[in-house]
Amino acid sequence: MKKWLLLLAVLLIQACGNSSENMDSTDSQEANPEEIETTITTPEIEEEEPQADAENRQEEAYFGYYVGFFEGVDMNFDKDPVPFNKITISIDSLSSEMLYGHSVVAGNERPFSGPMVVAGDSITVVASEPGDDRYDGVFSFTIRPAEELLIGTWKANNQRLAVSSRQYKLEKKTFAYDPALELSEEVGWSNLYEKYPKYPDKSESLTEDVSKFNASSYELKKEDVENMYQGDLEVMRNAIYARHGYSFKNRKMRFIFDHEVEWYMPVSTDIREQLTALEKKNIDLLKRYEQHAERYYDEFGR
Amino acid sequence: MHLKAQTVFSYSLLLLYAYFCYLMLLITLQYIPLDTDVAFLRIKQDEVALFYYPWAFFIHAYCSILVLPAGFTQFSPSLRKQLPQVHKWAGWLYLTVVLLLAGPTGIIIGIHANGGWSSQLGFCMLGLFWIYFSVMAWFKIKKGEVQQHRYFMYRSFALALSAITLRAWKYIIVAIWHPRPMDTYRLVAWLGWIGNLIIVEIIIIYLKRKQT
Repeated sequence: MKKWLLLLAVLLIQACGNSSENMDSTDSQEANPEEIETTITTPEIEEEEPQADAENRQEEAYFGYYVGFFEGVDMNFDKDPVPFNKITISIDSLSSEMLYGHSVVAGNERPFSGPMVVAGDSITVVASEPGDDRYDGVFSFTIRPAEELLIGTWKANNQRLAVSSRQYKLEKKTFAYDPALELSEEVGWSNLYEKYPKYPDKSESLTEDVSKFNASSYELKKEDVENMYQGDLEVMRNAIYARHGYSFKNRKMRFIFDHEVEWYMPVSTDIREQLTALEKKNIDLLKRYEQHAERYYDEFGR
Repeated sequence: MHLKAQTVFSYSLLLLYAYFCYLMLLITLQYIPLDTDVAFLRIKQDEVALFYYPWAFFIHAYCSILVLPAGFTQFSPSLRKQLPQVHKWAGWLYLTVVLLLAGPTGIIIGIHANGGWSSQLGFCMLGLFWIYFSVMAWFKIKKGEVQQHRYFMYRSFALALSAITLRAWKYIIVAIWHPRPMDTYRLVAWLGWIGNLIIVEIIIIYLKRKQT
């Protein structure tokens, strides 16, 4: 478009420079149709493409990962509920009136499908999970492709669960494994919790060591890790899994990565095949020191 | 009444000693059956690859426990008087273990200790002093210098007990201050036996004064 404007400007300047009044009008008439033609043809190309293709493109606008917090609404506080879990909802395919997708949250990957209603460019879906898992339920959500949002609720089939309904407002996000992703320094200021809400007496504090090394891109040596606390080692190791989009069943790790790691998104419950040779090597080393700390750090013995 | 309090004290000390010996036995049993990828060795895989290290380690782990009962019985005056032969045999057992087995292997493991030069120096010096005191005690008794023999045996056994005190220090320090693991290790590599040596020298000074 810019090129055309430039060309037009050049032509106009040339036309002006010619300073012939007759020429001026013909030149501008010649130049203008060209200009008009192009401005008309560009939208025409889009409109004239086959209808099916345009629909596909619109469908593709819904596909992909939507990430955010799966926020508890109805909770039974006697059952130790987790009010906030990071969830990824993936929209995988659409057929004439059905939407298919899956969700990944808290180490649980579940498919869902349901009828959809199109309203403008948004679609609204009521999608059920298969129902053979204790934590299955029904999702109701609307996708707004213009805002890249997926907003809705979820109701558990089993109303006696610790959390029987949730709500969410998820943002569209692409996933790509990136070994360069680092933990921010703030992670070192946080604590590890086994339970939620955060009981201060059941916490384990992390230190600045936790973000010192990236175990996905740097080969750890024993000197690097031998003086580290167990918690830092554990988070450093689990950061490898987090980079691959691993969804943590383990609450302690889930709380840290869900809340303290901005780039983290759960997309898979099994990432073993994705680990690189370097990562496997580092995991082995880290596990050794973690186990050693677990068994011997505050014990009489060795 | 005074005597009774003393008896209670010595019996509770005996009980405490038995308890720690039991804990040491549990530590030893971790390495049975022989496996180079358990417990402490899980973080010593570079060293395990050296041909002599597993030998040194397992000899140290299996034999060192013997010095605890062998050394301890030697302090009983009644045993020394009534069964001098037992005292002699236990002495030979102790010396064999320290000079040929646990001592030299301790130094070899010490050279490869975790935590860098400071803990390596700490453990090696512990090993050298242990052997030196034990050899001196042996020479002294051969020359018939019973009192000197006794003092050197006190020193040697104080260092033998570092196996217990090192771990006890670690337990206490971690419980109170939660230091980093390797900082703790560097500290107890010295604290574990220097403390014992200071205490035993104080006891020896006290005994010498009492004699004169």
